[in-house]
Amino acid sequence: MKNNRRDFLKQSAATIATMAVGTPISQLLTSCGVKNAGTATADSVIVLFMAGGMAHTETFDPKKYTPFSKGMQSDSVLSTFKSMPTALDGVHFSEGLESLGKVLNKGTVIRSYVAADLGHILHTRHQYNWHTCYEPPQSVVVPHLGSWIAKELGPKNEVIPPFINIGQRFDVGEGEELKAFHSAGFLGSEYGPFMIPDPTKGLDSVRPPVGMSLKRFESRNQLYEKLVKESAMGEFGSDYQKESLKRSMEQAYILLNSPEAKAFDLSQEPKEKYDVYNTGKFGLGCLMAKRLVDQGARYITVTTEYVPFEGWDTHENGHTRLVGMKKMIDAPIAQLIKDLDESGRLDKTLVIVASEFSRDMLMEGRPDLRVLDQVEQPDIIEDIKNYGMHRHFTDGCSMLMFGGGIKQGSVFGKTADERPCKTIENPIKIAEVHQTIYHALGIAPETNYEIEKRPFYTTPDGKGKVAEGLLMNNKV
Amino acid sequence: MLFKCPKYIFGYALLVFCLASNKVFAQEIAQVEGGFDFIQFIGRFHIVIVHFPIAILLLAGFLEILSFKNFNSKYRPSINIAVIIGGISAIFSAIFGYILAQNEEITGQTLDLHQWGGIVTAFLSLITLLLLWWITKKQQLSKIPFYRFALFAAVLGVAFTGHFGGSLTHGDDYFSFSKKEETAGKGQFLAMNSDSDSLSKENQIKLIGEVRAIFAHNCYKCHSSNKQEGKLRLDQEEFVFVGGKHGKVIVRGEPENSELVRRIKLPRNHKEAMPTKGKALTEDEIALISFWIEKGAPWPEGSLQPKLFRVAKMEPRKPVLPAPTGDLKNPIDLWVNEYFKNNKIEWKTKVDDKTFLKRVYLDIVGLLPTASQIIVFGQDNSPNKRATLVRQLLNQNEDYTQHWLTFWNDALRNDYTGPGYITNGRHNITDWLYTSIKNNKPYNQFVKELLSPTESSKGFVEGIQWRGTINASQRVEMQAAQNVGQVIFGLNLKCASCHDSFISDWKLDDAYAFANIFAEERLEINRCEKPIGKLADTRLLWQNFGNIDSSASKAEKMEQMAHLLVRPENGRIYRTVVNRIWKQMMGRGIVESPDEMDNEPWSQDLLDWMASDFVEKKYDIKELIYLIATSKIYQMPSEGVKSTNLLYENSYTFKGMTRRRLSAEQFSDAVSQIVTPIFTIKDLKYSGTVPNSIKPPFARASLVANNAFLTALGRPNREVVATSRDSQASLLQALELTNGERLTTVLARGAKHWKAQFKTRDVIIRVLFSKALGRLPNKSEMQAAQSAMDENPTQEQIQDLFWAVLLLPEFQLIY
Repeated sequence: MKNNRRDFLKQSAATIATMAVGTPISQLLTSCGVKNAGTATADSVIVLFMAGGMAHTETFDPKKYTPFSKGMQSDSVLSTFKSMPTALDGVHFSEGLESLGKVLNKGTVIRSYVAADLGHILHTRHQYNWHTCYEPPQSVVVPHLGSWIAKELGPKNEVIPPFINIGQRFDVGEGEELKAFHSAGFLGSEYGPFMIPDPTKGLDSVRPPVGMSLKRFESRNQLYEKLVKESAMGEFGSDYQKESLKRSMEQAYILLNSPEAKAFDLSQEPKEKYDVYNTGKFGLGCLMAKRLVDQGARYITVTTEYVPFEGWDTHENGHTRLVGMKKMIDAPIAQLIKDLDESGRLDKTLVIVASEFSRDMLMEGRPDLRVLDQVEQPDIIEDIKNYGMHRHFTDGCSMLMFGGGIKQGSVFGKTADERPCKTIENPIKIAEVHQTIYHALGIAPETNYEIEKRPFYTTPDGKGKVAEGLLMNNKV
Repeated sequence: MLFKCPKYIFGYALLVFCLASNKVFAQEIAQVEGGFDFIQFIGRFHIVIVHFPIAILLLAGFLEILSFKNFNSKYRPSINIAVIIGGISAIFSAIFGYILAQNEEITGQTLDLHQWGGIVTAFLSLITLLLLWWITKKQQLSKIPFYRFALFAAVLGVAFTGHFGGSLTHGDDYFSFSKKEETAGKGQFLAMNSDSDSLSKENQIKLIGEVRAIFAHNCYKCHSSNKQEGKLRLDQEEFVFVGGKHGKVIVRGEPENSELVRRIKLPRNHKEAMPTKGKALTEDEIALISFWIEKGAPWPEGSLQPKLFRVAKMEPRKPVLPAPTGDLKNPIDLWVNEYFKNNKIEWKTKVDDKTFLKRVYLDIVGLLPTASQIIVFGQDNSPNKRATLVRQLLNQNEDYTQHWLTFWNDALRNDYTGPGYITNGRHNITDWLYTSIKNNKPYNQFVKELLSPTESSKGFVEGIQWRGTINASQRVEMQAAQNVGQVIFGLNLKCASCHDSFISDWKLDDAYAFANIFAEERLEINRCEKPIGKLADTRLLWQNFGNIDSSASKAEKMEQMAHLLVRPENGRIYRTVVNRIWKQMMGRGIVESPDEMDNEPWSQDLLDWMASDFVEKKYDIKELIYLIATSKIYQMPSEGVKSTNLLYENSYTFKGMTRRRLSAEQFSDAVSQIVTPIFTIKDLKYSGTVPNSIKPPFARASLVANNAFLTALGRPNREVVATSRDSQASLLQALELTNGERLTTVLARGAKHWKAQFKTRDVIIRVLFSKALGRLPNKSEMQAAQSAMDENPTQEQIQDLFWAVLLLPEFQLIY
């Protein structure tokens, strides 16, 4: 009896506190996190994911260039492209990324991302790690970065799903492994990804079913609402089941019928701009991300799409393939930064370009933890198909970060100029990356939920530290 | 008007303020939470306004004494105001207090005394007010003595009531004059109440037990065998008194000089405040630790590592069944009746045939009853028709199996596709599982075959062999230990498989010893991913069940284990399964979560009785389902809750079945039944055991691979065990249902068939309502549907009617 009474006094206090700050009670009951929104420098995030392992020496951290010649030594090759100047003095990007180089004054290039050690290298496991911050497998289904953000901050605009994932299909090789981390996990399906596998068909996801006119859609909905009202279920009163069904249906209706849904309609974009972005699915994904952020999207991933041995996953013909990959990403990402900057959104939008790990011609894994080679690389290169970075390298990967409170025109970390081109300054791991993103959004580092009675933090054990050196207001 | 203005304007203002603020707050809360109980909130306001009469009536009484000689003394205006405010607030306190008592779970003698005291006081206050009114307004001075008597009585009443109110709020001993009274054997921190200087050994043991419990719950995470932040360990005597890297943390006899006490007392935002993670210690806890140090921090010999967490009894128990009473004969009902009596809950009348039919069909075979089944059942007059139907449904072996397969697939994480299959790192057990459910394999045998598997059932304990290097805590042997623990025993070993658990008494060694049974070679223990240079023992989690021969082969060890663990003496295993089936049918377990069987059941008797009965009836799952489905409680109206959280709170009171959503599979199958198949025979991943000659009209969703549609509706990716599904609807689901390709296509195809099959609009509407909702449309529903369709409706109009009806809460919920 005593305890009951005390408990409810505490509850009353909590209730009154709730009224004072206006936080939903449900959060008070379950989340142990403390929001420190006052420090937030960003309110939305776009992750542009270079799926398949993007070699740092071929992109944002070029080393000595060795042009192709028959009979060349494999161990003499560090980069297969020329270095080109960027907007920053003395900082070079690899040839083919000139547009991105020109906007580097708006952001930071990170050259010291160190991927986790997960043994035999597998893309989907490293991607799982990148997107969830946990190493697979886990004994519970852990949430995606986007789900954490959706849960903690909710939608920015009520009608736009807070976690949108553009460009990944699941009916590809390793689709099941990909599904494993495209999930809200224990946070509940409500915070799961809204999947748009193909941005050119993105509009289909948010408008009435294909072939249904708006008028018909409206009257269908009217019929539904009338029937709900008349339904005998009414006599059972309301409960959360019924209410949440009704509410979600209303939300869906609002989204499908809202002006914001036009953000998904790329045909609304002026042709000149559309053409700049249109380097294929990925470029159009960037365009959609831009349009969605303008309308109040919270978190978006656009991926170059992981399909085994395609895209960045170069097991041969690395050099030739990368010419195309760079074309695919260079103009759209640079344009995205420019457009966000012009509209003023960049200040509050954190844009991240990242990959699950890097590649090297010879080194599989990292220097002090080499793992089984997966690609045959001859000592002497006779065929151009062997000219490129084909092995998986985890000890020095490049990332870009723009906007949302990130330092402008800056270089973070450093890799060695000789093989192994590994991180030698400011190593940064996934937990720090995530904590830095959360920090920018004002999500407290100790945010956690109790799952099966154990606390699960945004980063394992709540341990990651914010990489202060990346932040604009930091003098380091 | 009673008296002259300013005096009582204040009183009214106060009243208006109270009511208005209630309203404003309530609205704000209602906005936030949707389902806020206004009445309850008003009740809680009691706590606030109750202080007015206490202070003000006492003041009035005091001033009245000062004015005893001269009624119209200079205090008179003040007294009048005080009597008005105090009196009115006393009345409101009593009303609010009464509401509060109705809405909170407080009972007992103290409450009764407080409640009656409050009512009497309110009454006396009213009398006082009336008398005062007579005196001042009507000049009936003869009433002065009565008025004074009433006022003093009210003041005494306030004191009396306030005392018991204080006891309710702060504890019985708070206002007590004699400290020693009733302290022994009561209270959370009993050892503190001993006030002699030296504690008896018995009390010392109790005291250290309580102190260590506080350490364990709040400090072990960083200061124990798992981790030694600041080089401090608090889990064993020798470490506690050595201290950490900054020296001793405890100075015996001097709490004020003990670093530990200083740190736990610091404000939460202080850099050095402890604990750094989690909640601050309560005042009681701090006081207890200080007291322990003050007494010299005794740590007597013989103080065992305390059992820190609730542990459910292992042994089976069959309580004596209460005698049948009234229409209650089903043993479940007799136990529920006991529970209802204790919690003052009334039985309600049974639901009608239609509602019962929908429930029982969906719960047993996962399908909707057809319109004709509903009609025939309605016309059946036999008194046992419900029981007969339950039996008949249980005998529809294929249907039954194809429904319950989903539940077991989730629990045993069996699926047709998923991570692991890519490298043969995972084995499907569908054929074994399907056959076992279909043959109603006795549950002890079922578990035996899972734990000591054949080729066809090995998938569960073999787990998922992930590619690459994985955490030691996710090696397949440990997966087996965790999953067997969770699914079969309702036991969380996930913590203990990495380090000594913080949430139970299980230790790392225990988890490894259990995992070792599933290992070819003896496992090396890893603590938080680092080998500690110790090989694991081999033993069951509960040693009194017998020993495992550690030198035996893996298969032999697993056979011994299976044999030992399914014995009827193991009450836990059968309580666990009984609770799971109960939850499937009633929406909420007798114990929640069903994976944490050490949690307290809302009725221990019911759980124990059902588990024992299950064993006596030869572990027969179908009989268990029969028992539940034929109980009266299963047939009572369902309960709605305002928020899912309420279901899992400690204060949960069972009143009946909780309303549930159709599962992804139930919804898909229902659409297939009503409209046209969502999944066809070529989607089947397992063809079942039906001979090919009888082709089912559609593929049950439990037999097809997971896909975006089923995922959106809540079918889990079965790479980890899932024992309950997300019950809340979400935007993503609604979008899938509103414009998702699969449902849209199916409804369009169905509309085409229907258009060919049925002639007119009204027939279509009637048929759809009968098939989907088991009833005809009422007049206004008919009109609504008619107005959306032409007399001779187009295919599109039919399609849209399908959609509108299939998304109705009435269709989507099992109520």
